[in-house]
Amino acid sequence: MNVAYFPGCSLQGMASEYDKSTRLVCKHLGINLEEIEDWNCCGATAAHSLNHLLSVSLAARNLDLAKKMGLHLVTAPCAGCYGRLKAASYELKNNSEVAEKVSQIIGTSVPIEPEVKNLLQLLVESIGTPAIAEKVVHPLKGLKLAAYYGCLLTRPNQVTQFDDREMPVSMDLLLQALGAETVNWAHKTECCGGGYAASETDIVIDLGGQILESARAAGADAIVVACPMCQTNLDTRQKAIGAKRGIKYHLPIIYFTQLMGLAFGYTPRQLGFKRLLTEPFSLLKAQGLA
Amino acid sequence: MPELTKKPTEYYFKAVKLNQLDDSLQQEIKLKCGVDVETCMECGKCSGGCSNTHIFDITPRQMIKLIKMGREEPLLSMDSLWTCVSCQLCVDRCPSRIDIPRVMDYLREKACQQGIKPTREQVKLFNELMLGSIMKTGRVEESLLAVKFNLKTGNYFKDADLGRQMFFKGKLKAFGPRVKNLKKIRQIFNDTIQKEG
Ligand code: SF4
Ligand code: SF4
Repeated sequence: MNVAYFPGCSLQGMASEYDKSTRLVCKHLGINLEEIEDWNCCGATAAHSLNHLLSVSLAARNLDLAKKMGLHLVTAPCAGCYGRLKAASYELKNNSEVAEKVSQIIGTSVPIEPEVKNLLQLLVESIGTPAIAEKVVHPLKGLKLAAYYGCLLTRPNQVTQFDDREMPVSMDLLLQALGAETVNWAHKTECCGGGYAASETDIVIDLGGQILESARAAGADAIVVACPMCQTNLDTRQKAIGAKRGIKYHLPIIYFTQLMGLAFGYTPRQLGFKRLLTEPFSLLKAQGLA
Repeated sequence: MPELTKKPTEYYFKAVKLNQLDDSLQQEIKLKCGVDVETCMECGKCSGGCSNTHIFDITPRQMIKLIKMGREEPLLSMDSLWTCVSCQLCVDRCPSRIDIPRVMDYLREKACQQGIKPTREQVKLFNELMLGSIMKTGRVEESLLAVKFNLKTGNYFKDADLGRQMFFKGKLKAFGPRVKNLKKIRQIFNDTIQKEG
């Protein structure tokens, strides 16, 4: 199956291990990702918090480019990019006034198509966990994981139409299909502090701290993410959070695609595990996975 | 816990004359954002769910109430505009599906247009620098953005240790590929700035 691929800025920068593992895993599952030609930034928090029309227009250009490539489905691994693309596509469908303005700005008819799915959704809906389970050669036996979805994969549910908005299960089922165990915990969709990493670090230390503590209390060995912002916040601020709370955390923050790749038989090196700040190797080695 | 800059009582609980309420702000928001706050029943589920309500000076429910009361000035200067994490919990829990994050964005945009000083200038600055990067290259260059932000805030060594670690992990890379059709990106910026004022 051919899918338009929107990597986004983080995946060509800080989160290149997410990009790498996404491409490997999709190829392995027979999904042909076609990178959107000359894509631009989705607009991120900056655009929607300062200029709404700009935010919809930047996202719309990407949808339009995908449409011109003849593709009907766009996927974005970054939950932030996905959120912007999906919100724009929803607004263009449901608000004719904005749609009219945007089509003038972009200079084409409004890109109603293609449909936008986040990467997790694409994998569980279009491939399905049974088919994914069939590809597993190294079951992730012994790993106790906290599946962390963050805000934007499921919310607002009216727009995303994906999984349960506050107690989602798709990533849990996927990780179980890989042979891992997932913990029950309360912070699956709480916010990590998002785009405030640099400008209001205290917010990230507060909100991210609640997430780390909840995962630790539930007995997780690691937190599994589907967003570079979640990964960066929980990983890079882990020490500061520990200092603040007086608890020493050691929770590797791993992209779900890295774990899929591992279960499919790729090596940690191919999947960029060494780029994670909180080192994951002692955990993987203890279970004979590295 | 991050600091609360202003107490809600400073402006929320001022006496209002009920015969002097005006619905122009409510109408404006309906027209400009397509969000109708009329159906708010003040249940408070939005504030109960909100990720950052514990540091908000005005909670989401109070915000909707102030809109109905036509009290624009506290809304444009509230700290919540600069601490909302856009997590979408409020709108998802609202029985009336009132899109609070959209209203938040609208009020922030309006406050900026009117030149109202944000309570957290560094948040606005960060977003402006990010937009600058998008306008210039079509994409965000994360490491350059971090450096620029630190230079502008005079906080030269903020996260220097972290920066070093990330550098050795190969996470900080300047000059990734840019958008080729930069003319189009500039035109999108110009057109939207013109249209939105
Ligand atoms: S949840 Fe909705 S209806 Fe309830 S107070 Fe908030 S905005 Fe009003
Ligand atoms: S989007 Fe903003 S107002 Fe709504 S719940 Fe999140 S932090 Fe609170």
